[in-house]
Amino acid sequence: MHGRVKVKSTAQQEEEKRKEREKKLKVYLTVRDAIFKKRGNGELDDEALQLTQQLLSSNPDFATLWNYRREILLHLETIKEEEETQKLYEAELLFIESCLKMNPKSYGSWHHRGWVSSRLPRPDWTRELSLCDRCLSLDDRNFHCWDYRRLVVKASGVPVDQELQFTDRLIGSNFSNYSSWHYRSTLLPLLHPESGSEPASPCRKHTNTHTSPTASPQTHSHRVCEEQLLKEYELVQNAFFTDPNDQSAWFYYRWLLGRAEREELISCVYASREGERVAVAFSKPVNALAEGLMLVLDGQQQQVEWRSAHPRFRHSPVWLCELPPGSISDINNEHNLTVHWTEKHTHRDCALYTGRLESWCRDSATDQELFRSELSVEKTSVLQSELQSCTQLLELEPQNKWCVLTIILLMRALDPLGHEKETLAHFQTLKEVDPMRSSYYSDLCSKFMIENTILKMEYAEVRVFSLSDKNLSTLCHLDQLLLVTHINLSSNQLVTLPPQFSMLHCLEVLEADDNVIENLEGLYHLPKLEEVSLKNNQISKLSDLEPLASCPKLTRLDLRGNPVTKTANIQAELSQLLPSVTDLLL
Amino acid sequence: GTQIKDVVIKPDAPNTLLLDKHADYIAAYGSKKDDYEYTLSEYLRMSGIYWGLTVMDLMGQLHRMNREEIIDFIKSCQHDCGGFSASIGHDPHLLYTLSAVQILTLYDNVKAIDVDKVVDYVRGLQQEDGSFAGDKWGEIDTRFSFCAVATLALLGRLDAVDVDKAVEFVLSCMNFDGGFGCRPGSESHAGQIYCCTGFLSVTGQLHQVNADLLGWWLCERQLPSGGLNGRPEKLPDVCYSWWVLAALKIIGRIHWIDKAKLRTFILSCQDEETGGFADRPGDMVDPFHTLFGVAGLSLLGDEQIKPVNPVFCMPEDVLQRIGLQPDLLKTVEQTQLISQYLHLESVIYSV
Ligand SMILES: [Zn+2]
Repeated sequence: MHGRVKVKSTAQQEEEKRKEREKKLKVYLTVRDAIFKKRGNGELDDEALQLTQQLLSSNPDFATLWNYRREILLHLETIKEEEETQKLYEAELLFIESCLKMNPKSYGSWHHRGWVSSRLPRPDWTRELSLCDRCLSLDDRNFHCWDYRRLVVKASGVPVDQELQFTDRLIGSNFSNYSSWHYRSTLLPLLHPESGSEPASPCRKHTNTHTSPTASPQTHSHRVCEEQLLKEYELVQNAFFTDPNDQSAWFYYRWLLGRAEREELISCVYASREGERVAVAFSKPVNALAEGLMLVLDGQQQQVEWRSAHPRFRHSPVWLCELPPGSISDINNEHNLTVHWTEKHTHRDCALYTGRLESWCRDSATDQELFRSELSVEKTSVLQSELQSCTQLLELEPQNKWCVLTIILLMRALDPLGHEKETLAHFQTLKEVDPMRSSYYSDLCSKFMIENTILKMEYAEVRVFSLSDKNLSTLCHLDQLLLVTHINLSSNQLVTLPPQFSMLHCLEVLEADDNVIENLEGLYHLPKLEEVSLKNNQISKLSDLEPLASCPKLTRLDLRGNPVTKTANIQAELSQLLPSVTDLLL
Repeated sequence: GTQIKDVVIKPDAPNTLLLDKHADYIAAYGSKKDDYEYTLSEYLRMSGIYWGLTVMDLMGQLHRMNREEIIDFIKSCQHDCGGFSASIGHDPHLLYTLSAVQILTLYDNVKAIDVDKVVDYVRGLQQEDGSFAGDKWGEIDTRFSFCAVATLALLGRLDAVDVDKAVEFVLSCMNFDGGFGCRPGSESHAGQIYCCTGFLSVTGQLHQVNADLLGWWLCERQLPSGGLNGRPEKLPDVCYSWWVLAALKIIGRIHWIDKAKLRTFILSCQDEETGGFADRPGDMVDPFHTLFGVAGLSLLGDEQIKPVNPVFCMPEDVLQRIGLQPDLLKTVEQTQLISQYLHLESVIYSV
């Protein structure tokens, strides 16, 4: 179905082709029916092997025929001596090899080869590995062959460092080989784990350990030790200086620059006497209902009902609950709260002192260096020299988007606030040289601007988040804004206040004038929200405003310049929908 | 430097959607039963029927297909173990079990088969580590994880398997680029990424995806011609365009590609004479690429086609009928931008 070019042909040619196909069809059907008949009769013999071979040679995707062959082989195994069985399976391997030559991308052939290898009395893994070498030399991106290679490596205990050298060789002969870079990303963490992870001897064999040799480099925070990381930087740099437009090396480089998974912890506990509410923020989305979350007040475990910030989220970084009436409402009493996350054996305390209406205890983004690279501080000189190299390359290749994007990432790893202005200019370049992905760049730039603003806010120790006129196209990191009371998002390009917005549990004043907002889904159960200004947006239907009805303290609402203000009877409709609003501007 | 692998769209390539021709092409396809090529593809017939019926339904032409004949055929393909084969005489497999259940769901007639046995079959293929074998011969692939949970979700029986373990296995196939491969350690591939994000959507675990990183890899699949490839340094293809696009939709980042350019590419893969879509402009058409061409245009917002669900690749109205709404990551709903692009498009095509 792939890559068959349509050719124009004359009526006569058509007729000849038709006749030929008819003939082929007849042969095919005769053989197929003979096979089905034999199988139906339970015949497991050499003739059946012959017949299935005939069809599989040209049609290796006919999976049932491979199944039949396996049934036959399993049967013959039981009636033959080991030597004969060995020969039988070796012949099978030869046949599969001929199929792979015709069609190197058939799932059925590769799976059958793995199956045969596992049945062979005396497998020859060296031969299998050299078959992979040959196959990859014809097509170094054939993922079936790569997967078979991993199977062989695992079964025969090829040392990890030998496989790493294999990728050295492939990358050395052609940098543009995504499959090899990918393979490196799975091998390096095994060979050179980050200090603190379990040690592994460099030549550890897979056969005698039961650890998975292919643990995911994404999920298991399998990171690479710093020494090796520096060597990898050098290798990648060679690659992208040689061929700056080859994306493989750049993707790999971005992974190297990435940070490890955040630890799973409770990042904030917030308590408010008013409404006797508790909000808990986690370092990643969790399902608190399934995680054994426990709330202890003054030494007493409380029966509370946890709910995520928005009913849309089964997994959320922010969870809320109400304490039984009278628990913490009296301002003259001091209270100690502890939230236990039993599944992760972690907890966080929060003290609510007399005379205080609210209290919190948290790790801030600045404490955690949330938005920085994972490289340790003393190695910033390394990142600095990486940045210099990329800057050099950019002088040679001013239009190279990969280089520009990498420079942005390095600048963020080094000093996100110090480089803010240059970063913005680089984003402008990216949108110009790669307009097809301009929305991606806008969203990424928005994310970085939000991160910078969070850092600035926390350095200033305020609860005001102001990010107006910054071309924001999307909102993110809203779980970091749990304690924010005032937010200004005016003059951006926001289309929606997404459900995540409901994590701004302390929000009192929202300004979001001059955007293109048409959806307020996230203004949901914000208990302290009093003022909302949404001038000059795209809110067009009364129903778009319904989420606001769940915010009990809302008194001021500015909707001037929205299509919805043209709705008939709008004033009356709104006073019915939002009875708490006394100051309505239309 | 590296030459970008891509195709050139000729100025005379089709640039309008030829819906009538495509419907005629699919309606006629099943009537060539004596054809050599048709017979050769018998080993995937059940999926072939699903592709044909789904694209007909998306075009509002399902009534032109022979419902009774197809349902009888499906029934005759269910085996004692509960699984379905691609055709009579072939062995059962998860791939064709999903296709059979999808077809019966399109026809609102799941009751025609023994559902409990299907559930048993799927459950029986789950392995210790949570993965699924495609059949009793033990090939493991994240495609089969998707087939398993999609089949069960359509039957409302997701609780029949160990979902937590299944999720754990799929997550162990996540790579350095945020994508997914066939098995732990396998390279990322758009088809597998579609299966794995679809799987995580059905099981309610999309928050485990690194959506920004994966979305970047996916949007970098778009080539200057507008078409999408399935891996770096490969040619664009209509079917990969669907897999990438559907995955982007599932993780809430479909606006990261240039929709107008992709539409141009997909339209150029139509065959004006025979109807149908090919993998690339100028190649032979087939029902597989015809479905993914039409479904892709639907995700891009073409209003002549029914809205398609990105996870199940079935019409949304069909899934609504059975009350199935798989999760999608919610970010910016760029209706604003879509309307801008549709406007732009009408300018381009009126020239
Ligand atoms: Zn294709």
